[in-house]
Amino acid sequence: MRDDIATTARGPSIHIQGLGLTLGRSSILENVCVDVVPGTIHCLIGPNGGGKTSLLRSLLGQMPHTGTIRIDWPAGRRIGYVPQQLDFDRDLPMTVDDFMAITVQDRPVFLGLSRRKADAVAEVLDAVGMSQKRKRRMGALSGGERQRVLFAQAMLPFPDLLILDEPMAGVDEVGSQFIAKAVLDIRAKGTTIVWIHHDLAEVRELADTVTCLNRTVVFTGSPAEVLSPEHILEIFSHAHHHGKKP
Amino acid sequence: MMESLRLLAHDLALSGGLPASFQYGFVTNAVLCALLVGPVLGSIGTMVVTKRLAFFSQAVGQAALTGVAIGILIGEPPTAPYASLFGFCVLFALALNFTKNRTRMSSDTLIGVFLSISMAIGASLLVWVAGQVNVHLVDKVLFGSILTVNDLDIAVLAVMSGLVGVVGLARYNRMLLASFNPQLAKVRGVQVAFLDYVFVVMVTVITVASVKIIGAMLVEALFLIPAAAARIWSGSMRGFFAITVAISTVSTLVGILAPMEFDLPIPSGGAIILCASLFFLAATVSRLFTRHAS
Repeated sequence: MRDDIATTARGPSIHIQGLGLTLGRSSILENVCVDVVPGTIHCLIGPNGGGKTSLLRSLLGQMPHTGTIRIDWPAGRRIGYVPQQLDFDRDLPMTVDDFMAITVQDRPVFLGLSRRKADAVAEVLDAVGMSQKRKRRMGALSGGERQRVLFAQAMLPFPDLLILDEPMAGVDEVGSQFIAKAVLDIRAKGTTIVWIHHDLAEVRELADTVTCLNRTVVFTGSPAEVLSPEHILEIFSHAHHHGKKP
Repeated sequence: MMESLRLLAHDLALSGGLPASFQYGFVTNAVLCALLVGPVLGSIGTMVVTKRLAFFSQAVGQAALTGVAIGILIGEPPTAPYASLFGFCVLFALALNFTKNRTRMSSDTLIGVFLSISMAIGASLLVWVAGQVNVHLVDKVLFGSILTVNDLDIAVLAVMSGLVGVVGLARYNRMLLASFNPQLAKVRGVQVAFLDYVFVVMVTVITVASVKIIGAMLVEALFLIPAAAARIWSGSMRGFFAITVAISTVSTLVGILAPMEFDLPIPSGGAIILCASLFFLAATVSRLFTRHAS
């Protein structure tokens, strides 16, 4: 982990203590404790159904939970959020520019992108390599291209806290390089980043801290320490085995 | 104000500035209604189609049938039972949305159930009250009758169009984003659940206000058909919106004026929707040909 982060960070620190979440009769999260250092990339990994997305939604204040989540904001409180997917008809004539207008401005989208936002939108779409496809329909993009657009909207306005819900799932090689570079650029400006990720090789490369979640925290630490191949195999095969029990 | 507008149109018609039929006050009324209903239903229609609420809007439209029956039952004038219409339809839409938010039932099942209940009540009541009124008066509410539109109807329509236009356009993007991804919308400060209710009420009040022109049975078609046709022809949200509003306004004008000009004994609602359907047919055929060609 870098040493300079705490002094230069614009992003918040996050302290999650004894977080619990129950939906119906099933317990989703139990006694989860996570600390996120300001201005770092904190990756969440773990098996499907392990509660990663539920933890993010609790963090966003969109899930009723027990325990405490404390977010200490040093300055601004802008949150950028990259969802897993969008729910829309693929033949809807909504271009990339239209989608950006819908997310970043109040002026109705059918009047076009507002002039005040146009430069900023051009900049973030350029950052994810989508500036050539601004007039394309969202439904005509590949899954990976659509993810890049979803990522681009999270950069407007520039976030103090960036939350990514597995944006690399289904993203091609080029796309994930654009996203990885953009995330590193955002961290360089001191933003705190919480990132659900499924590609352990990439986590090893990008994360400052990684937490493995399977209903509760399985392990947490710097990737170099905790992501040894033996460790991972043990955790995931155990989770798999455990999940198969009646 | 309405009277002076009609006089102006009358004078213009006599001097040749407008077609001769504008000598009649009801023609001026009809054109005014068309110029309100077309753009407003068209623009809300782009949202109905984008948010995939076609079936919902149909349910609300048919709830108007029950509203009319209740109105006649409690003694409102059969051609303008607005209190019952607004009362029942808004209640219906709010109850439907509330239930949708609180159950895990798929929304089309739920809408189907609500629609059936409301139709059952409406049909039973209509048959019950049929003896009390001239049944042809009920026809006019079910299928639209532009000739019986009076100043009250125009005023109701104008006020509702203004309200829906202002509220809907100011929150257009937010309402769409809420349906694309509610979590993202919430992070961006959109009050998702509240706007859902606002939208539902918007669709309902403009439906009720248009009942006299298009009729309770057909009003929802003007939400859907122009937007469905425009979606085929457009490549951006700007084109989608503009083409939808154009189709819906032209259809409303033609549907209202053609039966009068050619003395056809068909209701305005039917004519409007048939005209819009021609656009849809043209769009579908043109798409088939372009696909075939490519």
